[in-house]
Amino acid sequence: MVKKLLNKKGQLKIQQMIFVLIAVTLLFVFVGIFFLSIKLNTLKKTASNLEEEEAKLLVSKLANSPEFSCGYSFGSGRTSCVDFDKVMALKSMKEDYSGFWGIAKIEIRKIFPDETGECDSSNYPNCGLVTILDKEINTGPATSNYVILCRKDSNDRVIYDKCELAVLLVSSEDKE
Amino acid sequence: MTSKKGQEEMVGFAIIMVIIAVIIIILLSFMLNFSEDETIENYEIENFLQAVLQYTTNCESRADYLSLQELITYCREGKDCLNEEDPCKMLNETLIEIMGASWNVNENSAVRGYLFKVTVGDGEMFVLRMGNVTTNYKGAFQDFAKGANDYEARMDVYYD
Repeated sequence: MVKKLLNKKGQLKIQQMIFVLIAVTLLFVFVGIFFLSIKLNTLKKTASNLEEEEAKLLVSKLANSPEFSCGYSFGSGRTSCVDFDKVMALKSMKEDYSGFWGIAKIEIRKIFPDETGECDSSNYPNCGLVTILDKEINTGPATSNYVILCRKDSNDRVIYDKCELAVLLVSSEDKE
Repeated sequence: MTSKKGQEEMVGFAIIMVIIAVIIIILLSFMLNFSEDETIENYEIENFLQAVLQYTTNCESRADYLSLQELITYCREGKDCLNEEDPCKMLNETLIEIMGASWNVNENSAVRGYLFKVTVGDGEMFVLRMGNVTTNYKGAFQDFAKGANDYEARMDVYYD
């Protein structure tokens, strides 16, 4: 009789232990899921940020390429500086460069001072947009980055460097 | 005998709770560390800052017109432009115009506000603030030096 009672008590204890273990395991699982979902969210955010940064880096690489960059024409060591005269020359050679970058569209848009109109030899430099390349095909969303658009200017006294704020826009072909 | 067993069980339960609490604290600290890593140095803002500092202002000097970076140093050193413009006033006006043209701050835009700050050494020299401050922000800074002074231009953009 006593042995039976003790057995029953032992079984109860084992059951109790099993319940506690299940509860603790469930708790760990829930905490793990919570932690993983937060981590996944962060990863997604980081991935999209990196994608964006990479696209902007590509634009920046283009701005610093010899065809666009100021080099040493406006003093030393200017980064993300685009030579306005160079891009005007490039614009006039659109056909020769159409396959050079493997891009569908390249534009430079002045932001400040705010000016409008496509640049050509008649309105240069008082214009707001330079379309360097436009393959006139379906393009994906443009990636942009800030650049400084520099040229030589003069007043009645001196010839000086005039740099304005602009944005370089690059669009790839939309393959969908 | 029964009360002793009960006490033992309570102690066991307390130990389990303590272990769980420690694990939760460790997990939470991990997650907080993740969000700290997210203090983002943004390439777009860095580029903007670089470009803005190179912008040619209307402040005339002997040889040419000053860049915005040079205008900041003129303002700090109390120098005047040749065309008798006040560099500090011009700095403020030019930056307000540039920021207004570049960052669209309103209710419908993703950008909710920005902060443009110039510090010299440890002291704040110039601050331009617009819109609201949010917890989701990206920023960048540019250092430059003139004479004995170390300047830092910092910009933060707040998103919704």
